[in-house]
Amino acid sequence: MPLETFKASESLTLGVELELQLVNTYDMDLSSSANDLLELLRRKPFPGTVTPEMTQSMIEIATDVQSEHGPLLAQLRAIRDTLVHACDRLNIEIAGGGTHPFQRWFEQRIFSKPRFQELSGLYGYLAKQFTVFGQHVHVGCSSPDEALFLLHSLNRYVPHFIALSASSPFSQGVDTLFDSARLNSVFAFPLSGRAPFMLSWEEFANVYFTKMESTGVVKSMKDFYWDIRPKPEYGTIELRVCDTPLTVERAAGLACYLQALCRHLLERNEPPPEEDDYLVYTYNRFQACRFGLDGMMVNPKTREQISIREDVLATLRKIAPHADALQSQAAMDEIERTAARDGNHASYLRKCYAASGSVQGVVAASVEALRA
Amino acid sequence: MPEDMTFLLQAVTWPLVLLVAWFLGERLNESAGIPRVSSYVAVGLVASLFNLPGVTESVPGLPFLANVALSLVLFELGYRIHLRWFRHNPWVLVLGLVESVLTFALVYFAAGWFELPVDTRLIIASLSVSASPAGIVRVANELRSTGQVTERVLHLCAINCMVAVLALKLVVGYWHLSTSGDMVQAVLGSVHVLVTSVAAGALLGVAMPALLRAQRIQARDVTLVFALAVLLLTTLSYGLKLSPLLAALTFGIVARERRVHLTNAQRGFGTAGDLLNIFMFVYIAALLDWRAVPAGLALGLTLMVVRTASKVLCNVAAARLSGSTERKGVLAGLALMPMSAFAILLLEQSRILGFAPARDVLAVMAFMMLVQELLGPLVTQRALHAAAETHVTQEP
Repeated sequence: MPLETFKASESLTLGVELELQLVNTYDMDLSSSANDLLELLRRKPFPGTVTPEMTQSMIEIATDVQSEHGPLLAQLRAIRDTLVHACDRLNIEIAGGGTHPFQRWFEQRIFSKPRFQELSGLYGYLAKQFTVFGQHVHVGCSSPDEALFLLHSLNRYVPHFIALSASSPFSQGVDTLFDSARLNSVFAFPLSGRAPFMLSWEEFANVYFTKMESTGVVKSMKDFYWDIRPKPEYGTIELRVCDTPLTVERAAGLACYLQALCRHLLERNEPPPEEDDYLVYTYNRFQACRFGLDGMMVNPKTREQISIREDVLATLRKIAPHADALQSQAAMDEIERTAARDGNHASYLRKCYAASGSVQGVVAASVEALRA
Repeated sequence: MPEDMTFLLQAVTWPLVLLVAWFLGERLNESAGIPRVSSYVAVGLVASLFNLPGVTESVPGLPFLANVALSLVLFELGYRIHLRWFRHNPWVLVLGLVESVLTFALVYFAAGWFELPVDTRLIIASLSVSASPAGIVRVANELRSTGQVTERVLHLCAINCMVAVLALKLVVGYWHLSTSGDMVQAVLGSVHVLVTSVAAGALLGVAMPALLRAQRIQARDVTLVFALAVLLLTTLSYGLKLSPLLAALTFGIVARERRVHLTNAQRGFGTAGDLLNIFMFVYIAALLDWRAVPAGLALGLTLMVVRTASKVLCNVAAARLSGSTERKGVLAGLALMPMSAFAILLLEQSRILGFAPARDVLAVMAFMMLVQELLGPLVTQRALHAAAETHVTQEP
């Protein structure tokens, strides 16, 4: 089956998806309660969409198509409040964070939907290790070529999003020393990583995808686990490297940082993307995963080293006019506070661990952070 | 020499029976998926049938040990009770209380068809309110069950047990008053026991977390400290003629609310907990007097139907209101079927404290106890499976 046509959408519109974890109230372990929660949520209108995910201890929420920070954040808060209220009724807690700090993956029930069962059969333990929680941001593109241009232009900024969103320092009960341990799980999948360098949709759909399909390795775009991938049926590109932050404020901030950045890139004043940009891609990504905002990244064009923190702050200054035009100054403030002062949520969780002395205390702090 | 032989036989009987129980429990669980506790009960029942030397209530210390075992389970149950849930979802609390009262009333009424004295009917009704925390907690742990049926069954079980103790102690007080007219004895037998037991449990529930916080005790040791605290509480309750079960349950509930260390005790108190549990189930089953079983058949069947119907109906009625589904309501009602260890020990405790009718009641209820103890855990297990709340995945 050929790749479906790219359905153009309004440029720079946004959609945010968050994968959230369900935990029990007594020892803070993951709770396989997605069925119960979805059943209860079905009874009232939901301010967005909510869907089951791979395992019973995870649900995914999504906003409508939004174009501004204010309404986006308002919807995320409404979704959050609805979820928290429903969870309270069922004696479960809900939290952000890229990993559950001490869950034992082999105890998580795989959701009984055929596609998930199929995945779990194919990937074995990887599917269960995939009990990680990410934020996906969709950005609307007016044409498929615009989508590919944005996708590849964003490559140099991917470390920003990893470092700013990182909220998974703990895994299997220990401090991994990574700010985002979640991405290490994602990288284990065969078709993860960067998209192939192609700027023409014609070439991407009719040459690359057709060839890949003929190998039998993929059937649809869903089989690619790229850091950024085009989503033809929505007419968007989807950034998938972010951990789910602990708060919806941070989630909205990240989405609008991406939006302003895309507006800046679409002015095409930056040097155009090229294959050689990817020489430093995996190095930069590792630095962001491991060290967060303190990581050192190499600018693919100038080949200069700069700390991710500095690069974020410099980028914020550069895109300030676009943020003004998009009414998202509040989001830029959130990102600036994160980069300049507060640090990402991984560092916050490490502080919580130091204070409480237990990984359970880390989960309790995540639960509180989402409610606040 | 023959005296030595008898002594030796007596001495090795218990360990041997426990070993057989453990072995059967593992085998049947693996091959037929039968809950381990049902196997333990079966072994106890057979032991009681043969009246093996040593496996009787006459061996001193055994009731105490059984109480310690059950107190550990009750502490664990209490630790899983989330009082804030009742605020967010009052229907669960209402369901528990209404169901307890209705079960009491229906069982009292139904027992009237069998020409039993009022005292006996009141006691049977009180005990029928309870559900077996040992059976339910063990099965839930064994299946690593999570979900609405599991949560509700655990919370309802705690409410049921609380109400059952309350009802029984009031009945005991009423009995003392009506037989001896001794007001002091009556108050001592009921109000004092209830209030002081709760107070003792609550006090320890506040003190232990404070101690743990002050000492920064490691996660592993928390289990040990709580186990020792439960032992202390049980001993204290024996000495002061309080209810060790009520005290342990209160201890668990308060300790959870007061916890600073979120690290939970190992589920089921680890290997030591397993050992005590095997003993408790075998011991409780061995207490059963087989000679009384045939006579209690009709009564037992009737009461089981009434009790189960009450629990299922109430759970179904409240299911949607409390945010669950009717299907899960039925399953929660059924999963509350196990009833015995708690009821029998409660009755034993009352008997030791001079409550004469206790012995007759145990005989009258023998059949009911037998069936619910043996098959109850199986029903709980099947209900949790049917609710799809169990973790069947194994570590490869």
